[in-house]
Amino acid sequence: MKRTTLVLLALCICLFSEGAEKDDLASLKPGAFFIDEVWAKVGELSCLKCHNSSGEAKDSGFILEETILLKGAKQQNIHAANFKAFSKMARKSKAGQQSRLLLKPIGELDHEGEQVLKPNSTGHNILEKFVARINGKADSSSTVKKYKPQPFFEGVTLLKGASLLRRLTLSLAGRLPTPHEKKAIETKGLSELDTILDQIMTEEAFYVRLKEGFNDIFLTDGYEGNGELILSYNHFEKSRLWYQKYNLSHIEDEKERKETFYAMTRDYRKAIRKEPLELIAYVVRNNKPFTEIMTADYIMVSPYSARGYGIFEQIKDRFKDPKDPFEYVPAQLPALRARNNNPINAPLVQESKTGFYPHAGLLSTFQYLRRYPTTDTNRNRLRARMYYRHFLGVDVMELADQVTDAAAIDAKYKTPWMEAADCVVCHRSVDPVAGLFQDFYNVEGHFGPRKDGWFEDMFAPGLEGDDLPKEERWRSLQWLAKRTAEDPRFAIAMTEHVWYILTGRMALRPPMNIDDPHFSARRRAYKMQRFEITKIASRFTQAEFNLKQIFKELAKSPFYQSDGINAAIGQSDRKAELHDLGVARLLAPEQLERKIEALFGARWGKLEKEIQILYGGIDSKSVTERLTEPSGAMGAIQRIMANDLSCLHVVADFALAPNKRRLFPNVEKNMVPGVIPITDLKIRKGIVHLHSYLLDRRVSVNHPEVDQTFKLFASVVKEAKKRKGIDKRETYHCGRIEGKLVDDPDYTLRAWRAVVTYLLRHQEFLYE
Amino acid sequence: MANPKTTSRREFLKFCSQVGLGVAMPFGSPSLLHGKTKKHDPYEGPFYVVFNASGGWDTTYLMDPKGVNEINRLYKEGDILTHGKHKFAPTAANIENGVSNETFFKAYGDELLVFNGLDYSINNHSPCKRYMATGKLDSLAYPTFAALVAACRGPETPLAFLTFGNYSATGNLVPMARIPYLSSLKLIANADSIKGISRLPYHDDFAKDLIEKALDDRSKAPLVKGTLPRAERAQSMLYAAQSNSKALKHATPFIKDKDPKGRLPRQAEIALACFKAGVCVSANISIGQFDSHANNDQDQMNLIPEFLAGIDYLVKRSDELKIRDKLVIVIQSEMGRTPHYNKGDGKDHWSIGSIMFMGQGISGNRVIGATDEKQFLTPINPKSLAIDRKNGIRTRPEHIHQALRELAGIETHPFSKKYPLKLTDGEKLQALFG
Repeated sequence: MKRTTLVLLALCICLFSEGAEKDDLASLKPGAFFIDEVWAKVGELSCLKCHNSSGEAKDSGFILEETILLKGAKQQNIHAANFKAFSKMARKSKAGQQSRLLLKPIGELDHEGEQVLKPNSTGHNILEKFVARINGKADSSSTVKKYKPQPFFEGVTLLKGASLLRRLTLSLAGRLPTPHEKKAIETKGLSELDTILDQIMTEEAFYVRLKEGFNDIFLTDGYEGNGELILSYNHFEKSRLWYQKYNLSHIEDEKERKETFYAMTRDYRKAIRKEPLELIAYVVRNNKPFTEIMTADYIMVSPYSARGYGIFEQIKDRFKDPKDPFEYVPAQLPALRARNNNPINAPLVQESKTGFYPHAGLLSTFQYLRRYPTTDTNRNRLRARMYYRHFLGVDVMELADQVTDAAAIDAKYKTPWMEAADCVVCHRSVDPVAGLFQDFYNVEGHFGPRKDGWFEDMFAPGLEGDDLPKEERWRSLQWLAKRTAEDPRFAIAMTEHVWYILTGRMALRPPMNIDDPHFSARRRAYKMQRFEITKIASRFTQAEFNLKQIFKELAKSPFYQSDGINAAIGQSDRKAELHDLGVARLLAPEQLERKIEALFGARWGKLEKEIQILYGGIDSKSVTERLTEPSGAMGAIQRIMANDLSCLHVVADFALAPNKRRLFPNVEKNMVPGVIPITDLKIRKGIVHLHSYLLDRRVSVNHPEVDQTFKLFASVVKEAKKRKGIDKRETYHCGRIEGKLVDDPDYTLRAWRAVVTYLLRHQEFLYE
Repeated sequence: MANPKTTSRREFLKFCSQVGLGVAMPFGSPSLLHGKTKKHDPYEGPFYVVFNASGGWDTTYLMDPKGVNEINRLYKEGDILTHGKHKFAPTAANIENGVSNETFFKAYGDELLVFNGLDYSINNHSPCKRYMATGKLDSLAYPTFAALVAACRGPETPLAFLTFGNYSATGNLVPMARIPYLSSLKLIANADSIKGISRLPYHDDFAKDLIEKALDDRSKAPLVKGTLPRAERAQSMLYAAQSNSKALKHATPFIKDKDPKGRLPRQAEIALACFKAGVCVSANISIGQFDSHANNDQDQMNLIPEFLAGIDYLVKRSDELKIRDKLVIVIQSEMGRTPHYNKGDGKDHWSIGSIMFMGQGISGNRVIGATDEKQFLTPINPKSLAIDRKNGIRTRPEHIHQALRELAGIETHPFSKKYPLKLTDGEKLQALFG
């Protein structure tokens, strides 16, 4: 495949100082040792979390600043400030004692963060060397092995336009490019990509993919129980089981009536379960700001689910087809009322200053709340945690700190989450958000505030220092949603979500293992990706949060387009740096089915059903992470799939007129290899077509890969000829047309079947 | 500098190892047409099974009984039972299904090693699960013990690491496999036959062999110039997955017609069929719902007997399959329950707990470590393993994992070194398993 060399010098960001090895103490300028060792391996990983202007140690006098996303002079200034803070701390010591910089992190001198580094650990050794340098002691062992990175994308080649187009149409719309799209890219180049993507993102298939991708993240499909269980008995007593009383008496046949009833029940349950994802699709389809998934003052309902809420009659005129269970329109629920006046059902009427349920996009949907339930002791903290992860891209549980004796802390404090420093560090962020979900204090996800009012032994409801105003309590999730939409982390998190949808993996996390000899290279890879994500998030924000902008930006990104390298990767640091570059993604079961449909005209139909989990799929409940690397079990399924698809389609394709064939437009079954050169050439051209059509490999008739495939074809035919008793017809299961066995006197049909089986097991087919 | 045109697969694997990218290697190179097909070389053990009581078990209703300080409502201190060195809570009178503690300790006490007083260090499910599974709290990169031992002992086995849930990170060393039902195993064991029926092959044998040979030739060819590391790795993993999957046919004779009843027996049956066939090294077996914040006693009395019944099934069935002596069984949960009841009769998260072991290389009828009458950890001397309140250490998951790595003989394997537990020699538990 022809590849375009990319030399992106503009993206060459020299992340590691090229300056002198030793820090310039006289002028307090940080050098490579400070930046690459002290800061990157200790300060950033172990100190910054608390010692920042808003952290737990904000009053400590040792305040540091983040540098990872800074460039140029600004970065230098912050490095200088951090260096100054470290130097100051390094010089501090009492007579006869070590420097405070060495004692505090091992938990001495009443360090409130207790022990963050072990004595003699790599991190502590780095600090010892730093202190020695600050104190003017020569340190012969401290010469840092300098990692001198080259421009990050130097030598990296990108996908050719046609291949990029094919990847995008298959990925986002489950189809091959149209001739018009191909021509546009061929004649006008990638400048046409935005226009093509704009069109793709109007297709229904795109919204199937979009919903599937966001369900991988939010998992709202996976809430417990039947779909309608999100509707509480207290508030939807009369409407939630509407299907049980639906009049089907016009269907005379009892069996048909029952089947209609079952189908209606299934559709209702499915329709109501899908509402959160339909909100996402609605926002994107209508080019609304994606912040509306937080701030929407409505939910999406279908004619069936609207009946469940009891609002169908009021909104039925908005549906194009009120009989379609899966047509969705936005709608508001009235403030909820208890089923009767019994105080046990209080509040009898949901507090609302608008008369409507205070919708807050996904956050206030019963589906989201039920998917992430709470308990008496969890107190909505799971919901708070998921809020942070889903909408701000922060996993508060990702790297929990080790404490000396968690049980002792539990015993020592009545409310350790408010008193013990080890606990407060997370609970100060999590608990206020948990309090904002206080109107939904139950495992079912229903509206139902705690009878005794919200807990007072928790940090007050709010968000990161801002307390929830009393007058906003009735719509606390709307209050949260508004702030989320304004938070720059929202745009970053959404960019990361689309990154996941397009590449099949999460964005890189910062490397944590400072003993890794490739730590600096991995940190650079992380940093380069962060720059890209931040840049795209910024453009998403400028585009008024239109999610399509992220797809368009990512499609143009070298991170998405990287396809190869035009020089040997000699240095192991360089290899580590590039280890995550390029998509190279094992197609998920749903994606593979769509690709099969695009290429063969019909789905295989098994990957989305009985073997979905076996092939690494998810059920959104207990199996929530897709397998991205094939096990032996998945390898076996690939073999079954390749065998089965060739069985289903090879003979059928030959039975069509040549101009209607997908697989074999230019060859016939009477073309036997090794007889005359012209026939061999035609067979080779047929193989070239298969490589192109199935694998997107554009190779010449004399390419080694074509040689290899031709050899397989010819060997099968030759081997069959040598054997006695070979049937002159294709097999019963793979070789019938209109019920009759097809002649295969030269074994060529079966040989082509072998070829297609062989090709379908290639990486180029199974991955994108 | 290596010439990219001649970079071989072997060089690529070396590179993977250098930069920390694990890779599964396939069985050897079959040369089917020449009649020199390499014989399936089954993995013959030890087989590692990690049982997870997901959600946090109440150890005081199992191997670390208390009966004092209102820790337990179902029994008093005087009701505590013993078998050999083991002390355990009486449960027979309080359960409806499953295996009671009385039955379990009677059957397996002589083989069982109990460790009480394990410091999970924190009390949140997610990090605790990660910590217990990997021995490392502050990293998302570390593999679970089950994945690590699979990668070290049998990376070429097609289902080296089988998981049925719980934290299952692989550290990029080996792919994880999920086999939800026995019927799934049957299906994949006969991938070259229509609907898994061996008398209905898709291709004639010679054609099938030629396909495999072509794929094998392709895999041996020099890597295409200019392939990025991620794509190279994908190519290698894919080839290994497909090639190794052919060995799954050896599982066919050991697959029962029907899934056994029960969540754990179903998982155990699949794992055992794979062990017996030599296509699997380790399995992560799990059931959930132990998180008994409400009605602790009722929940634990349902779940602990179910859990023990699952272990009982595994051991008895392994006996039938004649592989019992090759099993190494780890029985764990990610946290314990508080030494007091909350207002809903439940118990919340507690960062101190226990772990049990049995199987090859493990001396039974032993109890190491302890908790006190308030369910706090009692330190131990790592050398003698005796209680040492003054100078002892708090045993944490990394200590257990270090011992498990030593038991499995993988503590110096490059993959283990890649994910070090960073314990000094003085901190390592000496002869934990006897």
